[in-house]
Amino acid sequence: MTAAAQLGETCALLESLVERIDVGIFAVDRSGTVALWNTFMAVHSGKSSAVVRGQNLFTVFPELPRPWLEKKLESVFVLGNNAYTLWDLRPYLFRFPNNRPITGGLAEMRQNVTFLPIRIAGGEVGLVCGTVFDYTDTALAQHKLHDAIAALHQEKDAQAQLIVKLEAAQNQLLQSEKMASIGQLAAGIAHEINNPIGFVNSNLQTLKKYCQQMLQLISTYQEGEAQIGNVQLRGELSALTQSMDFDFLQQDLPELIKESENGLLRIKKIVEDLKDFSHVNKSDWQYADLNAGLDSTLNVVWNEVKYKATVNKNYGSLPAVECLAAQLNQVFMNLIINAVQALDESRGMGTITLSTGHQDEWVWVEVKDNGRGMSAETKKRLFEPFFTTKPVGKGTGLGMSVSYNIVQKHHGRIELDSLAGEGTRFRVWVPVKQTSIAD
Amino acid sequence: MTIEFIGEDQREALQEVANIGMGQAGASIAKVLGEFVELSVPQISAVSAAGIPAALAALAGDGVASAVRQAFLGELRGEAIVIFSEHSAHDLAELLACADVLDGPAERELLLDISNVLVGACLGGMAQLLRTTIGFSPLSLLADQVPTSMLLQADEISARCALLVEVRFRLEKRAFRSHLVMLMADDAVAALRRALDRFIEEL
Repeated sequence: MTAAAQLGETCALLESLVERIDVGIFAVDRSGTVALWNTFMAVHSGKSSAVVRGQNLFTVFPELPRPWLEKKLESVFVLGNNAYTLWDLRPYLFRFPNNRPITGGLAEMRQNVTFLPIRIAGGEVGLVCGTVFDYTDTALAQHKLHDAIAALHQEKDAQAQLIVKLEAAQNQLLQSEKMASIGQLAAGIAHEINNPIGFVNSNLQTLKKYCQQMLQLISTYQEGEAQIGNVQLRGELSALTQSMDFDFLQQDLPELIKESENGLLRIKKIVEDLKDFSHVNKSDWQYADLNAGLDSTLNVVWNEVKYKATVNKNYGSLPAVECLAAQLNQVFMNLIINAVQALDESRGMGTITLSTGHQDEWVWVEVKDNGRGMSAETKKRLFEPFFTTKPVGKGTGLGMSVSYNIVQKHHGRIELDSLAGEGTRFRVWVPVKQTSIAD
Repeated sequence: MTIEFIGEDQREALQEVANIGMGQAGASIAKVLGEFVELSVPQISAVSAAGIPAALAALAGDGVASAVRQAFLGELRGEAIVIFSEHSAHDLAELLACADVLDGPAERELLLDISNVLVGACLGGMAQLLRTTIGFSPLSLLADQVPTSMLLQADEISARCALLVEVRFRLEKRAFRSHLVMLMADDAVAALRRALDRFIEEL
């Protein structure tokens, strides 16, 4: 085979390769005239090599971004280095339909294009050859991947939110468990105290009677004292009466007994309030008098209140309300304790006003203080679990969030009105009947 | 820590090659972009792998920057990193005759295109002087508007140490400051030494 024949064969092979290869290949000279247009380009553009060759690229494809592409080609001519376009930044250079007319996906073929400098006979760059690679499948796969990752992120966020809710719910549960056990403990103690109070009270009544009888006996003896003949004995009796200050004793004894009776009465009242407050055996829905509940709650926390505030009561007449009385009492207690803690001690005794009222199918209980009031931030985060404005160890930050949930459970609402420096007013609204509200 | 990659003669030769290469590069960049680009005198140094991120951050200064990388292949092998410490998408779009930049991908493409021109011109110029041919890989974005200390993470670097050639670019009257850093790993420096020796002999 001659050298010429060999060269011819190589050229034919290369030509066939360029035509057959599954990559778009085209070449333009410096004026933009197309010098090469392979089958891939012809098939996808619908313009055959015969039509395109010898024509200006931008005349045949006026939709190409001409100034930019010209600059790009120029940089390859001048620098003699490759230039690129990438599908993820510029989806395509030529608007070719994609290779999925049936199965669909992206409207246009995604392309990576490399521009190669072609030096004729090793000299200046005479042609720039563009190779167009179809990246549609990669792009589709990447889109799916992006979607999947986005979905995963979304799911993760949802789970994170759930976990936060779960934690809050668990804390609520812990808090209400704690309150329940305190209630149970209180009721147990109340019961235990009731027994000794019973016999102390009964004994005291007997003691009172005995004392009266004994005093009566002594006074009768005293009347007969003058008839005692024994002078020495009379002297002794008179000395004893004086040293004992018997007149005072006689006067003081009934008072002491009366005071003790009063003390016992107060203990009995406190024990009753404790039992009322905890309602240990009454954890189901029942009709209760909220005014009485508010009073017994106030008695339970009285020790916290009495040195810091005067309490004004302004109760309206209320119908019996269907509620979980122990839980509503807990809400009242939280509000009263918060009101006391909000007072500004530097201004002396504060004032706490408890009011109740009735409107249509609803009743309300209001706790108002003239304390420091709340900042906007505090108002916003008021019902957030673990949010507290109190120093470490003073508040759990759970009181208001527990209260909120209890009122929610009653299908009620809590109204808040607070001005920094002026005070705070909470009003708890609950429906009289649950059935008229629930579902 | 100083790392001795190349002898004093070779270093001088590299400096010479870099100087001439950048001069030629400046001319070709001006032809492509249609504007005169100020290039600094190339600085050559050797750094340990751990020192590369810090070196890049030091070049870029404070604030945020973007970086583009491109591999160069052939007898001389390594990676070029172009750090954009200050640029305006609008100015770059004008330089490259783009429609004004509207979205993120278009702006990133601008950075890649500019980097291709800068890297191709500078490294191509040096390769020509060293009578060797180098090819370039497609470019990719290494970092997009990150604090300069985060341009490159030390644990991403596989080389033990690297030879670093740094050039600064500025465009008059435009918000554009960038650095081109040519990094060659220690095991690729042998080829550079041979090429430099050839260059010295031919002088």
